[in-house]
Amino acid sequence: MSQTNEQDSPSRKDLRINFFRPRPGFMRKEVTIIWITLTAWAVMTFGMPIHLALTHSDPTRTLAEAPYIFGIPAYFWFSGQFLILWFIFLCFIFNVLIDWLSSSYRRRR
Amino acid sequence: MEQSIRYTPFFMLCGVLIVSLIVGLLSRRHDRGGYGVQVRSIGHASIGAAIASNWMSAASFLGIAGVFFLNGYFAFAYILGWTGGYVLLLVLMGSQIRRFGKYTAPDFVEARYDSSVARVFSAVIAIVISLIYCVAQYKGIGMVFAWMFGIDYTQALVFGVLITFAYLMVAGGLKAARNPQMHYLVIIIAFVVPLMLIAKKLGYNWLVPQFSYGRALRELPEQVSNAYLFPWTFGSPYEWIALCFTLMVGTAGLPHVLSRFYTVPNNRDARWGVVWGLFFIGLLYWSAPAFGAFAHTWLTNSGTVLTPAEAQALADIIVIKTAEWVGLNEIFISILAIGGVLAAISTITGLLVTGAGAIAYDIYYRLINPKATESHLLIVAKGATLVLALLVLVIAVNPPGLIAQITAVAFALAGNTLFPVFLLGIWWDRANKHGAIAGMTVGTIITFAPILLGNMIPMLRTILPPTSSALIGAPVVILTMIIVSRLTPPPPEHLRRFLVEKVHSP
Repeated sequence: MSQTNEQDSPSRKDLRINFFRPRPGFMRKEVTIIWITLTAWAVMTFGMPIHLALTHSDPTRTLAEAPYIFGIPAYFWFSGQFLILWFIFLCFIFNVLIDWLSSSYRRRR
Repeated sequence: MEQSIRYTPFFMLCGVLIVSLIVGLLSRRHDRGGYGVQVRSIGHASIGAAIASNWMSAASFLGIAGVFFLNGYFAFAYILGWTGGYVLLLVLMGSQIRRFGKYTAPDFVEARYDSSVARVFSAVIAIVISLIYCVAQYKGIGMVFAWMFGIDYTQALVFGVLITFAYLMVAGGLKAARNPQMHYLVIIIAFVVPLMLIAKKLGYNWLVPQFSYGRALRELPEQVSNAYLFPWTFGSPYEWIALCFTLMVGTAGLPHVLSRFYTVPNNRDARWGVVWGLFFIGLLYWSAPAFGAFAHTWLTNSGTVLTPAEAQALADIIVIKTAEWVGLNEIFISILAIGGVLAAISTITGLLVTGAGAIAYDIYYRLINPKATESHLLIVAKGATLVLALLVLVIAVNPPGLIAQITAVAFALAGNTLFPVFLLGIWWDRANKHGAIAGMTVGTIITFAPILLGNMIPMLRTILPPTSSALIGAPVVILTMIIVSRLTPPPPEHLRRFLVEKVHSP
């Protein structure tokens, strides 16, 4: 690590790495981006089956009352097709943010 | 089963294998300088295609459609597990492991945990993962060959293994290069074009069968339609979530997936490659359920009723069967069969190489003969490949489940052992070798307990389904690692400094 960003980097004695207590500077920002992406990933992937489990217990009622999209129940389309798009989108956003973060740090050095 | 040989698919398969050998030989001349290291100018899309071609196995090509045919909505747990796992891999580990600079799972474990015991342990785990994964591929090959020649499964399996091995020997002996982009293209075309034709034959929108299979499902008799559309007909919410989570953490822990991050010149390219890779994998997974749905359409239209046992037996080649049932031209049926075999062969090659490498370098060289020369190790690796292949053959004679299910067990093992070891190794400086060894031990027990003791203690299989044990397993292993690491001395300072200055710096 170079001298110029000394105030940004913690003391050289402190070697602690912990996801829940990220080091100030680059790592803290990186972990923030990771948290955002992971939350968006977990809520959509596991929130949907949990929601389905809580609200849909009877097949005939479910399929009569559920909203439809493209001719199939919305939740079915959501899990079968939309979530893959969502994953691609998340990876895209993550990459854009990390690119931005690493270029801003490269400039600072 | 009809006892007749289908010549068209057989000759087409031979033709494709020969052509791919020739292409491999021709392209060998161009990259003699750096074998396996790709040129800098390579685009993100082409990295993505390489990721996808490395990923797509018989489980994707044949397995998913089979699970959807049997279990409807439940199959989405496989699809989402096998795509969402890439998000986890990219976000949590991709860049960091790359900055760490170790290319195989055992290398990483030894460097990070400073322990040859942990290294050998992780090598054994990597070998077992390869074995289980290969069993699923061999089952696919056996099923396709049984269909192709009208012979029984065991004979077909042996025959299929002989053919693949002959091909691998020749390809290896001639040092033919693989072209992953072309491989991906062949596989995806072999999958989607016949699907479009099937949709057309059945009178559905053929341009995007990925959308029209929903209509096909709704037009089935109400009872059948409801069963496949309703989320919890074939599995409880717990089973669905556990399976999906297991496959996700397994993807992030699979050695042969991880090593894809290193065949690319730089970190940024590798990250962007994942976006494309996920899209290319998605193309296959968006389409796969359509085969299962159209199979039911045909069964309903023709008034055929399959017993559960018959359906189970057909599930893993339902992709090919659907094409045959609706009366597609034999050429297109053959294309599907060949696509499945190609996906299986390429996966087997990769896995056997990984497994044999681990045996030769991580176990033989480290434990048995540290003085072995490079050429000696090469012979050991070749012998190991053969032993592994035979072992897989023995297990594959009585396949314990569907292709996708067998593969899922390999993911459960990876998710219960390597995933926590990677995760804590990167994100917690305090994780040490004692923690890693304890964690991998607990993870191995959690993976295999429901398989080995499930008959004695049925409760075990309810809580920890063999395909889905990592929802509980991975957190338990992480906890074990944290507790054991806390109770034992911290790892040496130079390692922790390395983590701070190299792995977690821009």
